[in-house]
Amino acid sequence: MKFVVSSSVLLKQLSGINGVIANNPVIPILENFLIQLDQNLLTVTASDLQTVMITTLEVESSNTGAIAVPARLLLDTLRGLPDQPITFNVDSDTFGTEIITENGRYKLSGENPVDFPKVPQVTKSLSVQIAADVLGAAISNTIFAVSNDDLRPAMTGVYVQLSSEYTNFVATDGHRLIRYRRMDVTSDSTSTMIIPRKALNLLKSSLPSDDTTVTADFSQANAFFSFNNIKMICRLIDERFPDYENAIPQNNPNVLTINRGELLGSLKRISIYSNKTTHQIRLKLSSNDLVISAEDLDYSNEANERLMCDYEGDDMEIGFNAKFLIEMLNNVNSNMISLEMSAPNRAGLIVPADKKENEDILMLVMPVMLNSYA
Amino acid sequence: MRKIIHIDMDAFFASVEQRDNPALRGKPVAVGGSKERGVVAAASYEARKFGVYSAMSSMVAARKCPSLIFVKPRFETYKTVSRQIRAVFEEYTPLVEPLSLDEAYLDVTHNLKGINSATEIAREIKAKIKEQTQLTASAGVSYNKFLAKIASDYNKPDGLFVIKPSQGEAFIEQLPVHRFHGIGKVTAEKMTKMGILTGLDLKNQEESFLKEHFGKAGSYYYHIARGQDDRPVNPERIRKSVGSENTFFTDLESRAELQLKLEPIVEDVWKYCDRYQIYGRTVSLKVKYKDFQLISRSKTTLSPIFSKTDFERIAYELLDLILPVEKGVRLLGLSLSNLEDPNDLIGKQLTLPF
Repeated sequence: MKFVVSSSVLLKQLSGINGVIANNPVIPILENFLIQLDQNLLTVTASDLQTVMITTLEVESSNTGAIAVPARLLLDTLRGLPDQPITFNVDSDTFGTEIITENGRYKLSGENPVDFPKVPQVTKSLSVQIAADVLGAAISNTIFAVSNDDLRPAMTGVYVQLSSEYTNFVATDGHRLIRYRRMDVTSDSTSTMIIPRKALNLLKSSLPSDDTTVTADFSQANAFFSFNNIKMICRLIDERFPDYENAIPQNNPNVLTINRGELLGSLKRISIYSNKTTHQIRLKLSSNDLVISAEDLDYSNEANERLMCDYEGDDMEIGFNAKFLIEMLNNVNSNMISLEMSAPNRAGLIVPADKKENEDILMLVMPVMLNSYA
Repeated sequence: MRKIIHIDMDAFFASVEQRDNPALRGKPVAVGGSKERGVVAAASYEARKFGVYSAMSSMVAARKCPSLIFVKPRFETYKTVSRQIRAVFEEYTPLVEPLSLDEAYLDVTHNLKGINSATEIAREIKAKIKEQTQLTASAGVSYNKFLAKIASDYNKPDGLFVIKPSQGEAFIEQLPVHRFHGIGKVTAEKMTKMGILTGLDLKNQEESFLKEHFGKAGSYYYHIARGQDDRPVNPERIRKSVGSENTFFTDLESRAELQLKLEPIVEDVWKYCDRYQIYGRTVSLKVKYKDFQLISRSKTTLSPIFSKTDFERIAYELLDLILPVEKGVRLLGLSLSNLEDPNDLIGKQLTLPF
């Protein structure tokens, strides 16, 4: 089997799917790219058993065949080469692969392509069309709140709720929760699924930032995404997502409305003085007055700032992890935001004041318990 | 014969507030939230004259006493005072069983100072508490916990009342049943209907009769009516759960009935937890069917339940698990366990309630 391809084109395609490959895969063949040739069409597959990414590109060839080649070795070689047409020469009996370039010849020992795990196929499924930039926004607005706790697997992915009116993308780590709703993503039938974090991260980095159509197909166990010349298949998390709707407090009479940038700036400065493990800061709220403070008792450092704001409700003091607030505020695209609260031991809601078309975002964050219980 | 003292601080939270803020002295004060859903955690004696009591809703309290001053609770301060009085107790005996921040039983039969008279010890403790905290306490002295507790309540505030072994039975005989510790409002009403109004009436009942009508508690009533209470003063006592249950006159069959009857039980448990700042993570529902089959369903959350809404929601979720019922339900109970010390919660990142 023999084909000729541009070194830079191949490098670009392989880099797009390389993230799937695990450092120490369960089965050694997963350290390889599976390369399948059908005359002019070259298909490259990378897998970690949970997630599979496939890319296709055109090459010059009149052969068919397949080979598994070590991903790291191949990528490092391509990165070091000046852009040029290169020739792959594969011995189908020994799986030896030779790369012939202007600079010289490189011999890699490949593996039997038959050993590469089978890729799941789309079976009876639900299909949704999403613009790449919308899907990208849904991922970046939620993924930072996904849990790392493998003991609660349901929370290690983004929960997707499809309906005929809108689609919810929900992420939580138990301390905070994001519900990102799109009115422009709908499905004829309602369905829910949990997509694992790794797959979404890979998707996010390979999605174009335009409105290219992404086709998402969901079967019982897998999700299939395809756009341009890339396909991704991932196993869904087969767990029950927490009943999050009930955790959203309904009555939040204490409302702080404030400029997002000013609040963010203040939080960043004050958090420098907070305890390094808890990142605890204190918001002291009274009529149209907000004082943010923090202290690190271990080093007797402390700081406080008073901010202009609009506050309606009871006087209250509430503690938060500054990192959580900063991360959440960084993900809001609104000049003004409101923080709606009920009590110092119940979740606060961050809501952007200016809403974008087709988009609705709700962020919940649980407080840190302060010593003076108000 | 043992020597037991029960010490109870007088209007504790409210007295601490009056001590620390002279402007509140001599005035009706309620510690607790003044808002719509707040409850009175403690009322000063001036407020009690208007009929304001702890666990009353703040709205009702404000109506009863328009000049009532609401003060936010400062639990840190109360805890500090609680530690001070605890230290006083421990000068006399290691056998101290705290019931809450402001109340404890002491077994001074063999005390560290070798004082023979428990009354003398009670007097000294009261004086030391006054000296160190500027607060008054009431003490009850007797030969068991039940009588000591009744005695401390007899002469409040700043009281000292002794029930000697020779007086015990006579004292109980004349006591109305609703003043018995361990006989609540509902039980007292039930007893009244049966014609049991005083300790003497209670003493005249057979143990089997009391057991039949009041279950396990019947046996306790039988003995306390005779001034007998062998429960030791237990310094290790740590509260493990808070619960309430109710047995119904007629078996409950429908979803609506069950939901209706669960509501006051939810109220009961939450009111208590709220008042004593008890936070737990496990809610358990207990159900006894008409054939006496007993089942329970429970749910544990990641962080303590702080709001009544969450507590209520979980309670009804648990009820849903047994619906629809196949046979009549004669008893429903609800409890909160896996309790966390509020002190351990400071600085803790709270978790969403699911």
